Amino acid sequence: MRISPLHDILAAQGASFTQRHGSEIVSSVSEPAVEYDHIRNKVGLTDFSFMQKFTIPEEPGIDFLDTLLAGNVAKVRFGRMLHTFLADDNGNIIADCYVANNDEELILLCESIIDDAALKDILEKHGAADAGLVDCTGSHVLLGIDGFKAWAVVKDLFGIDVLGLPYLSIEMYPFGDTDIRFFRAGKTSEFGYLLLAPREIGEQLFAAALDGVRKYDGGLCSVAVHNDLRLEGRFFNIYAEGTVVKDPLQLGLQWMIDFDKDSFAGSAAIMQRRENGLTKKIIGIQTAVPLEEFVAGVGIYDGSEQVAEVKATCYSPLLQECIGLGLFPVDIAYAGLTFNLGGADGPAVHTISMSPIMPRSLTIKLDDM
Amino acid sequence: MTEDTKRRIEKRKSIIDTLKTELIQRLNLPYRPDDLHEDISLLGAGLGLDSLDALEIVLCVENSFGVKIPDESTSVLRSINTIVDFVIDKNEKKGDE
Repeated sequence: MRISPLHDILAAQGASFTQRHGSEIVSSVSEPAVEYDHIRNKVGLTDFSFMQKFTIPEEPGIDFLDTLLAGNVAKVRFGRMLHTFLADDNGNIIADCYVANNDEELILLCESIIDDAALKDILEKHGAADAGLVDCTGSHVLLGIDGFKAWAVVKDLFGIDVLGLPYLSIEMYPFGDTDIRFFRAGKTSEFGYLLLAPREIGEQLFAAALDGVRKYDGGLCSVAVHNDLRLEGRFFNIYAEGTVVKDPLQLGLQWMIDFDKDSFAGSAAIMQRRENGLTKKIIGIQTAVPLEEFVAGVGIYDGSEQVAEVKATCYSPLLQECIGLGLFPVDIAYAGLTFNLGGADGPAVHTISMSPIMPRSLTIKLDDM
Repeated sequence: MTEDTKRRIEKRKSIIDTLKTELIQRLNLPYRPDDLHEDISLLGAGLGLDSLDALEIVLCVENSFGVKIPDESTSVLRSINTIVDFVIDKNEKKGDE
């Protein structure tokens, strides 16, 4: 199992750990409600070092990544990022990816459901070595600063210029004697930033960031709390619905695909399924049932007939009810309907429009920062 | 499935089909209607549309469904589904008047 370079400092802060797809992640720091409150209302610091991280020279990196990933890497302008995915030969998603164009280099950040060795095999099979791909997964840390006040923390750390960065952009900022890669990207629907830095300065950067979030009454967060935040914000989560559904079309990830590209990993299978027509897709659901009974795998019924299945769930503190995602046949995959959970006489479950929340970060104006 | 549920589906499907076709045409989106999941974030994440696109969506909704999205109702533009909810709600209120 790959251990985070920040393991010891995280443990000293009270973090608990678990394993996910061959990497260690922080499973808990505080009560889930406290961590949730940090990000929704203040700011949270999270160790995302479990992600697989690579750099590659722009030439031939563009061609390499463009033939590998579903999105159009060639169209990513300098300073911007692309959110796309990597599929296997069967067209099933195996990694949720960011590609950043940082002038003469491209940066690939992956959240994958395969371990480092399996991902490396796939990259090698597509010519990673010839393309000059450098694996910096172990040599770098990746910190996430997310939350309603995240902008204030990064402004304190790196200056007011950070406020002008659009969503999905990359910039270099000095931290001490080292330039670190700074990404405006997050999946909580609040302000979000990722900091990629060499592990030699990892603990120093972590300490500065933690001081920064605590200044705004925030704190350290687990990776686990991001599962709930992503579902509330209807951000794709490869570790929840992505693990059990896998088909990017059923997951609604067509926006990550450039259908005009000649090919990419898994494209033949994906294009064939697209031509055949979508038969099922995931949509939002909400119920008053407690979370213990509202879990992935439970059937959704129309009368005595099971028509769908729950694929991901969480409790939404904002809505004070459980929400989730269910896989429905497309002819009934519409918001505003009511079905039963677990059987014909089961409790009601409603199909809903996502995202069901209005994040506070969408209410703040640049002039107020 | 009850008749009421079938009616709800038909009404929603009709609005979604119109909206998707209009959005693809007006915003020159490189997708088929089936490619656009109704919950995709329209602005920022997801489709990544900008503020000019948002104005075009507001005009599109006004022209296609006869309902105006007020300036302060930016939350309506979060996804196709939130726009459809808004259109259905406005139409139902019109029907009550």
